Amino acid sequence: MMISKEVEKILPLVQKPGKYTGGELNSIVKDKNGVDLRYAFCFPDSYEIGMSHLGIKILYSAANERNDVWCERVFAPWHDMEKAMRENGIPLYALESGDPLTDFDLIGFTLQYELSYTNVLNMLDLAGIPVRAKDRPDLTPIIVGGGPCVCNPEPMADFFDIFSLGDGEEVSDELFDLIIACKKEGTTKKEFLKRAAQIKGIYVPSLYDISYNDDGTVKAITPKETAPVKVTKRVVANLDKVHYPEKFIVPFVEVVHDRVVHEILRGCIRGCRFCQAGFIYRPIREKSADTINTQCQKLCHSTGYDEISLSSLSTSDYTHLEELMEKLLEWTEKEKVNIALPSLRVDNFSDKLMGYLSRVRRSGLTFAPEAGTQRLRDAINKNVTEEEMLSTARKSFSGGWTAVKLYFMLGLPTETYDDVAGIAELAQKVVNEFYNNPDKPKGKGVQVSISVASFVPKPFTPFQWEAQDTIDELIKKQNHLLSSVKTKKISVSYHKVNISFLEGVMARGDRKLCDVIETAWKKGCKFDSWDDSFLFETWLESFEECGVDPLFYTSRKRDYEEILPWDHLDYGIRKQFLISESKKAYENETTPHCRIKCAGCGSNMINGGECDAMRQSMV
Amino acid sequence: MRCVRVWFKKMGMSRYVSHLDLMRAMTRAVRRAEIPLWYTEGFNPHPYITFALPLSLGMESLYESMDMRIEGESTNEDIFNMLKGSMPPGIEIVSVENPFNDPKEITYGEFDIFFDCERKTDSVLALIEEMLSADELIVQKLGKKGRHKVMKDINLIDFIKSYRVGSLENRVKLTVILPAGSTTNVNPSLLADEIQKRAEEKLSYTIVRKKLLLENMELFR
Ligand code: SF4
Repeated sequence: MMISKEVEKILPLVQKPGKYTGGELNSIVKDKNGVDLRYAFCFPDSYEIGMSHLGIKILYSAANERNDVWCERVFAPWHDMEKAMRENGIPLYALESGDPLTDFDLIGFTLQYELSYTNVLNMLDLAGIPVRAKDRPDLTPIIVGGGPCVCNPEPMADFFDIFSLGDGEEVSDELFDLIIACKKEGTTKKEFLKRAAQIKGIYVPSLYDISYNDDGTVKAITPKETAPVKVTKRVVANLDKVHYPEKFIVPFVEVVHDRVVHEILRGCIRGCRFCQAGFIYRPIREKSADTINTQCQKLCHSTGYDEISLSSLSTSDYTHLEELMEKLLEWTEKEKVNIALPSLRVDNFSDKLMGYLSRVRRSGLTFAPEAGTQRLRDAINKNVTEEEMLSTARKSFSGGWTAVKLYFMLGLPTETYDDVAGIAELAQKVVNEFYNNPDKPKGKGVQVSISVASFVPKPFTPFQWEAQDTIDELIKKQNHLLSSVKTKKISVSYHKVNISFLEGVMARGDRKLCDVIETAWKKGCKFDSWDDSFLFETWLESFEECGVDPLFYTSRKRDYEEILPWDHLDYGIRKQFLISESKKAYENETTPHCRIKCAGCGSNMINGGECDAMRQSMV
Repeated sequence: MRCVRVWFKKMGMSRYVSHLDLMRAMTRAVRRAEIPLWYTEGFNPHPYITFALPLSLGMESLYESMDMRIEGESTNEDIFNMLKGSMPPGIEIVSVENPFNDPKEITYGEFDIFFDCERKTDSVLALIEEMLSADELIVQKLGKKGRHKVMKDINLIDFIKSYRVGSLENRVKLTVILPAGSTTNVNPSLLADEIQKRAEEKLSYTIVRKKLLLENMELFR
């Protein structure tokens, strides 16, 4: 590791200095003079969060496969470290080389959640790089954004040079090639941007003019010069063939997810109407059990991890789950490796799967009914019935579980106070189920914890036109829920509603928010997703100063005809499909999942007509 | 089942790895090396791996040991060879031995404190000599009073078993033996901080734990 003397001097002054030294097992160090492109992959949050993220591991490893590219990692230094760095004039540096970000050709940020936006600005500034794209006339460094939030990156449009839409594995290569070529030719930044806009999946915000109506809504989105009218996201066709790392960096400092993670399928067949991830990662692509098994074993051996987490939006919808479990258990039991299966749905918790689960270490029992009544679950297309849930709970109690976690949302479209009370009633039924069970664990009580998030309408979902509940409404609903809970066996926890409010503004925001974000950051906002760091008053001041009304973005129900700030971005999901799903929600009408019947979302069309779920629904 | 003692160095950037993080990192290293570990019986079997004496965050060490229980016929040399290529960066395996002493017997540690001086070393040398030849060198130490943690004054001179001081170019090296173990523990940074505080120029320092000693001053093995 090549940490400078200056950095070494401040390390003894900060908490967990191991976050800032690099030099972890399997981190990649190259000769900077032997590569044509230096790429700083930035995660705009703390080391512990960033190092837990699967995407960074995949893209880091894929980029470093190339001999002509060196990809390094950068995280947001925690408050104490930032202070020490600023006081000592130390610019933000990458963990592999210790070199400042200004030495890099490409700086990529993954935008996983809206509340990390101020951290992007803060990191650029800490590196001495102007935050606005227009103030960076040179070809390099080029600032690129990726991740789920770029399905509407408009609030960050003024800060980034380019955005990369959709799966990053393949488009990165094309981008590297273009930058290397432009560097060699000595082209201008303008020329680079023009060429970049021709790469499928690359969106160059400065090549689009946005005009607004008097009421503040978007009037027109006009591409300049040769930029495409619509930018279509990239899709990796075959997960078995795309790069997957054989090694993960193993941090010394304990991070949130400290284990082998394996993505077993991309996309989701369920189509829950509130869930953005369920739509923007479509079409459905499954990885074969063989590939997953081999890759997991290699990863365990190269890291020494003793846990594998099979990740996806809905793990039990993976069609080869039993085959995979069988293959995995063959060696994991011997090697004392535990398998975790998050995101298991209750409605297809088969006996055989329960059998496999009992052979791996017991993890918590969690359900995500999301809404308290069947009526509302139908409206949001969460196709789980009470009976299915209670029967799984019954089986689990017989199997020795005594703690259940239930996830819900408040503020869903069409929600009434009866739906809110229904949350407490459902939890009560789970409690009763335990005490009525003759096989329940002897001498133990049951603990049901309810975790309630606030619903935030997101782009590319059937609820993208909805009004979001106001902070006051949400607090009233929270109190109603609390007063509906009648026993100590049930505990309730909440997300902060102020934070959800800001998330809501950003999620469906437009370019008018760029000024607000910059103002808030200048006033000290950063790490907004951390309760202790979130400065709500400062955000409200910033909106005020910029003359932007945040309620315009959250509380306004849009017409289907309105031009949305992200209408020039194509994630494969047809607007007509979203409109019909939105109408069905108001009829409390469900849509069967993709394996029963293809609902015609359109996402297969950007993948040459292919969608794994569609194929399976036809056989 | 038998127990082996693995000796290793923890130098460079790995000094910023905390004791807890080190335990996890070493357990993973042992798994990567495919050491035939012995596991506890029961529903949630786990290996038996323990460390002699935690090292403070920020300190380097040439003399760290980890005990682990293994199964099978492997010799110490086999285990050494398996571990050699599996260590995390900054950790270097020195040898694998049969444990001789109980870690509870550790009484003293020998430390090198290196001071980097910006100017000449003479004044720093003189200062250290002056401080350590006095009868008293009072510093504050975090101690326990019943169940509460309180700051209390201690006279470092009472605890320093022996010391040597010398210099090379712009570095001053102070070698000191201090109590280290389960009963009494005096962190050498207390001494280093005090020297830093009294020095006229800005000093930075690093500490290396060189040896662990028994009550009779013999090496802990
Ligand atoms: S194309 Fe059809 S089957 Fe595939 S995700 Fe869309 S609706 Fe589901």
